[in-house]
Amino acid sequence: MIRNQNNYFLNRIVHYYIKRIVRREFHELLFDNIPVDPNRSILLIANHFSFWDGLILYCINDTLLKKKLHVMILEETSRKEKFLKYVGAFSVKKDSKSIVQSLDYAAELLNDPANLVLMFPQGRLYANFVTNINFEKGVMRIIEKAEGNFQLLFASTFIQYFKHKKPTATVYLKNETGNYSGKDVTALQQAYQQHFEASKALQTEFDI
Amino acid sequence: MVPSRKKKFWSKLYITYVRWWISRNFKEVNVQTFEPRPGHSVLLLSNHFSWWDGFIANWTAVFNLKKQYYVMMQQDQFDQRSYLRYIGAYSIQKASRAMLESLTYSAGILDQPDNLIVIFPQGELYSNHETHIHVEKGVYKLMQQVKGPCQVVYHCILIDYFESLKPRAYVHLFDLGVANELTFDQLKENINAAHQQALKNQINMEH
Repeated sequence: MIRNQNNYFLNRIVHYYIKRIVRREFHELLFDNIPVDPNRSILLIANHFSFWDGLILYCINDTLLKKKLHVMILEETSRKEKFLKYVGAFSVKKDSKSIVQSLDYAAELLNDPANLVLMFPQGRLYANFVTNINFEKGVMRIIEKAEGNFQLLFASTFIQYFKHKKPTATVYLKNETGNYSGKDVTALQQAYQQHFEASKALQTEFDI
Repeated sequence: MVPSRKKKFWSKLYITYVRWWISRNFKEVNVQTFEPRPGHSVLLLSNHFSWWDGFIANWTAVFNLKKQYYVMMQQDQFDQRSYLRYIGAYSIQKASRAMLESLTYSAGILDQPDNLIVIFPQGELYSNHETHIHVEKGVYKLMQQVKGPCQVVYHCILIDYFESLKPRAYVHLFDLGVANELTFDQLKENINAAHQQALKNQINMEH
């Protein structure tokens, strides 16, 4: 497992780099305004369809949630994009023993109210047009270990062009109040699916 | 109505520019395999969700279907860019008598098996996630007037990113039938069935 590293200098460089490429790539970044509890950490669950969704959520965290972001990424990505570890990326290796270590580390991070852990429980890239969301069960271990000391947020991201040359990224955030500790992953998956479908419906009704 | 004065030289120059421009903004234009009917002209019906669709349709028409590209433009837009008539644009005035003239002219273009016309049957921009394709009546009026063999093809563009930083445009092509044999209801039914299939194929897309 490759842990995130604290290095103020490199963190700032990567931070401004991410902000810059997101600003350059997208026409606009739209998101809901939701209340954030300052006394609890955040577990942010999002759909995964591109390399951009992590970066988009990074920018949203910077402007809206204002927590210290940590994101679970695949070990291959972590090796390839070495700079990511300076902005809170820690790795997970699927189908190995170290997966437990990564999940426990994520749960540990959630004990500090200043932290945010971003996760893509789908485990790999899917099309943005996907209709059935499939979660892997690792996320439940985090939820159980962290013992409800966190605020659970759902995010579904869509990228569309509308009438502009550059695409617009829309992120629908939702404060999920249900307690999933001790439950099966399907309960969480269904709740997320509902949010995803509702967001997609909003996305099609968008006034272009 | 102002007819097109398509010239091979300008069309070639233009498509080279379009190819360069799209390649700069997209990772790839991934056109799914499709066999057009031999000896038929093509009426390409495309979904309309962005500023780029016309250019992507142009790409498919020239590089994949290997046809001469023609496009209908609204009169006011045409007046601003009348030089586009040299690469295959001609004008149409909505809701006027001149519209019939434009439709007859389009039908005439489609009588030649070498030609292709792109039309956005939705008439305005809709979301890329739209599941239902709305079809305006004008397309059908045009199809009725075509005398020669003309294949109606649905051209569905879906944007996805996957591993790359630049977006990829996936183009799904479906045969909807022959222009003068289809009824309006059949057309609507076929186009929506094709769109559903495209969405399904996109979800299972290998990357």
